[in-house]
Amino acid sequence: MFRNAELELVEERARASLGAWERRSLGVVRAEDAAEFARAAGERAPRLVDPGHADFAVHPMYVVSLLRGAPGAEASELRPDGMYRDEVPGTDGLGVRLMAGGQAVRWIAAARAGDRIELRRALTAVERKGSGEGFVLLTVEKVYGSVRGTLVEVTERFIVR
Amino acid sequence: MTDRHIIVGQAVLPVGMAPDAITLLRFGAVTRNAHRIHYDTEFARSEGLAGPVVMAQLHGCLFYRAAAQFAGEGGQVREVEWQNRAPAGVGERLVVTGTVRAVGGADGEITLDLVERCGSGDVVCCRGRAVVVLG
Repeated sequence: MFRNAELELVEERARASLGAWERRSLGVVRAEDAAEFARAAGERAPRLVDPGHADFAVHPMYVVSLLRGAPGAEASELRPDGMYRDEVPGTDGLGVRLMAGGQAVRWIAAARAGDRIELRRALTAVERKGSGEGFVLLTVEKVYGSVRGTLVEVTERFIVR
Repeated sequence: MTDRHIIVGQAVLPVGMAPDAITLLRFGAVTRNAHRIHYDTEFARSEGLAGPVVMAQLHGCLFYRAAAQFAGEGGQVREVEWQNRAPAGVGERLVVTGTVRAVGGADGEITLDLVERCGSGDVVCCRGRAVVVLG
C-alpha cells in the first residue's frame, strides 16, 4: 500500500475511535522495579534508587513511562518495528513510521510500591499536519489510577508518517 | 517552607546526561519498550534517523530532574511537559536548562520554561515547561 493511502487509513481508523476509552492493567508497582528505573534514568538520590531507604519513593516518571506491566507482552502483540500493535491508535498492521511527539504529565498523587495501577486512555484528537503527504498527529489522554484514585494524568502525542 | 526569593527570568540550573547504548537498553528493558529505533542502527537508519535515538520518556526524566532540582528538598513537581523537536542520538550529551516564567500561582506555584539541547551543536531536541512548588 502506498504511504499516503496508509496515512489516510490511519486517519480514518483514528477518527472512528475518537473518544473511546479503553483500560489496561499495568500490574503492581514493585519498589525494586521503580528503583531500577530510577538508576536507568541516571538518578543517584538514595531515596529513588534504594528500595531499602527509609524515605524511598517511586520515581514519579516510572508509572507513566511503563509501556506494559509484568510479565510483558506476547510476541504477537508487537509490530515488526517493535512497538506494541495497540500503542498508537489506528496503526495496527500498517507500515507507517511512528515517533513520539511529546507529553504533558500532571501529578495528582504519588504512586507507591504495592499500588495496582490501572490505565485508562482515549484518543482525543486527530490532525493532518505538514505539506505534501505530511503526517498524522494523534493526541491521547491517559489517566493512571489505583484504588486510592487518580494518580497521574498524561496528554501524549504521536507522530505517524 | 523556603525563604528563597524567586523572580521571573531567574535561571534554572542545568542538569545533564549522555545516554549511551547501555543506558538505552536498560531504560528500554525496565519500561518494556522494544521499539527498534532505540537499539537497532540499521532499522533506525531505514526510518530516516542517523542512528538509534533516545526514548521520549528518558527526555521526560531529565525535564523532571531539572524541575525537581529547582523545587529543592521537600519541594513538589506538579507538572512536566515537553515537545520533541529533534531526535537525540546515542551518546549525545543532553542538557536541560531554563528560566522562571511565572511566580505566584495557586499555592505558591512557579512555572518554569525548559529547553533540552543535545550534542556539540546545541541542537534543541525538546522544549517544555514545568510547574513546581518550592520545598
